[in-house]
Amino acid sequence: MLSELMTIYRNPAARRKWLTIASGVFITFALVAWYGFGLAAPWAPFMTIAAVLAGYDIALRAWGALRLRQLSIELLVIVAAVGALFIDNHWESAAVTFLFMLGAWLETRTMSRTRGALKALIDAAPVTATVLRNGETVEVAAHEVGVGETVLVRAGERLPVDGEVTDGTAAVNEASITGEPIPAEKAPGSKVFAGTLAENGLLHLRATGVGADTTLARIISRVEEAQEAKAPAQRMIESFGRWYTPAVFVMAVLSYLVTRNVELALTLLVVSCPGALVISTPVSVVAGIGRAARAGILIKGGEHLENAGRINTLALDKTGTLTEGEPRLAEVVALAGQSEADVLLWAGIAETGSSHPLGRPIIEAARKQGHLPTAEELEEIAGMGLIARHDGHEIAVGSHRLFDHLEIGFDAETKAGIARLHDLGHTVVIVARNGKVAGLLGLADMPRASARPMIDRLHALGVNRVVMLTGDQRPAAEAIAKAVGVDEVHAAMMPDDKLERIRNMRAEGLRVAMVGDGINDAPALAAADISIAMGASGSDIAIETADIALMTDDLGKIAEAMEISRATLTNMRQNLVIAVLTVIGLLFGVYTGSIHMAGGMLVHQLSVLIVILNGMRLLRVPKASRARAGSVKAKATRVAA
Amino acid sequence: MTNTKTRTLLRSDELSCPSCVPKIEGALKALPGVQKAEVKFASGRIEVEHDPALADVDTLVKTIAKTGYTAKPSAF
Repeated sequence: MLSELMTIYRNPAARRKWLTIASGVFITFALVAWYGFGLAAPWAPFMTIAAVLAGYDIALRAWGALRLRQLSIELLVIVAAVGALFIDNHWESAAVTFLFMLGAWLETRTMSRTRGALKALIDAAPVTATVLRNGETVEVAAHEVGVGETVLVRAGERLPVDGEVTDGTAAVNEASITGEPIPAEKAPGSKVFAGTLAENGLLHLRATGVGADTTLARIISRVEEAQEAKAPAQRMIESFGRWYTPAVFVMAVLSYLVTRNVELALTLLVVSCPGALVISTPVSVVAGIGRAARAGILIKGGEHLENAGRINTLALDKTGTLTEGEPRLAEVVALAGQSEADVLLWAGIAETGSSHPLGRPIIEAARKQGHLPTAEELEEIAGMGLIARHDGHEIAVGSHRLFDHLEIGFDAETKAGIARLHDLGHTVVIVARNGKVAGLLGLADMPRASARPMIDRLHALGVNRVVMLTGDQRPAAEAIAKAVGVDEVHAAMMPDDKLERIRNMRAEGLRVAMVGDGINDAPALAAADISIAMGASGSDIAIETADIALMTDDLGKIAEAMEISRATLTNMRQNLVIAVLTVIGLLFGVYTGSIHMAGGMLVHQLSVLIVILNGMRLLRVPKASRARAGSVKAKATRVAA
Repeated sequence: MTNTKTRTLLRSDELSCPSCVPKIEGALKALPGVQKAEVKFASGRIEVEHDPALADVDTLVKTIAKTGYTAKPSAF
């Protein structure tokens, strides 16, 4: 029994909880005795006991701070509580200490919920790992796994390290890193991340990153640095907070000297902590950044959050951002009386032996229409195309340069077809059989399915200029722009031109966000108000340099990042208003005599709680943004209908 | 004299008001062997640079407990 009590006593959190409860019990007894049974005798002693119980821990903290020569809030509260006992105001003394403790307890709980978005990430990394050593499996601490060792992950387990799959397959849920709820298929050769969840199968991994050197750890430390980076408004408030407490202390002394009103002076001490004010902005920033991190969006600080919330122009590259970054077969043109199926078949036969990137979509399409034989002989002419021999026929597949080289001429029909595909922005592949052009293939980098809804969502958010900056030629750029709803196209741009464009737009007074891959677009990214990197989970450079890093290629995250930023900005302003009104209201109330000690403490603690609870609302944004995404989609289909 | 320096990261989720920051920092810095102590209110991280021979991780945790807060060492 005694040892149990000692354990509770040694744990500050448990001690505070029980002291608060005990204090509350005595206050309740006193109140019931007085109002229920008309007993006056227990009032003073019970209230005093309640004050001592709740005040004990406050006094401990006050003493601890005093030894370090610090004037703490706790000291002021204790002075006020002891003072109230001396002027025989037992109820005020008990209420002030009890409310201070109760408020602090509630604030701690809610505050840790606010930080909770990140806690889930930290907890995602398992503590132990199963490692294969000398043919036996051993359980070791996750951070003691050696790089290069083989780690076993069973179904339902979280991965303890970053690594590469060497054996086995599994569906791995990577939501902790990317925010993407649909599991990814992992097979030998796949990269996997610590903190992700193997939903089935059995994986053997070769560890490549351990402990603090995992993507998860890097994300967590980046997010925390971001949360800690103080926004300008916050620094101002903190310096205000530093002189506010001593100032109120001086005011309390002066007020006493002038009015000789002890209670007024003590009440001033009680309301001297600018609690709601000093936490108003950090609470919003912590919740906003934490919530974004959970969705796979890394916002690198309160400052960027503020900037991102004010963006009205978005500049982005085409290839790999709005498009898939990989060519697909868009059109087959049959010429000289051939069939489309045959043109595709011949092109496919020639391409099966080649590894050219343009070959892949052709092979895929050709396989879809039936059996695809391999050419008996194949000659690859670098930069031009292929010449294959199959079934006694000679097949030539490639660009116009190949045909210049082979001295095969184009007739009017062919020339017209090539020109038409060029105008559509397609890359043209010419197919010939036995020295005669048989058809054309148009290949294009197709827009991503998520591009159009993302741009609609941005427009709805008030980002009214979405600008495409691309090194591609105008026809290809305009074809994509039209398909996805981009407002403005700048084609054939060199990196310097992009930089110039961003500078010009900023000079026009626009607030510009730039989306890029972080390497090629570096100058333009640096020139923008906000730089956004996509698909950052694989690239440390992108995580390091961008103001906002999206862990996946999902375009919807750009709009989501803007939504979170706006919501956080609004939340921060609401909190500041609540906090400032509380401070003004309390001081006014104290001097007009309408607020006494217990009431002052109650209002003060309530304001702190309201500010924290308001910040916590940000953690709920996912549902709201999903609903909004849904409604935009619904609108889009309605327009289409 | 050789000066061994270790960086230890602790976490506390009991920081509800930034007024606790100077208290914890002050108490840690007052320990012999602690060169640097930084408390980050927003994330609840406590970063300490210390000589483990003079002040080990357990001492750090106990010192923080004396100021009235629970903290736990964390790998990252």
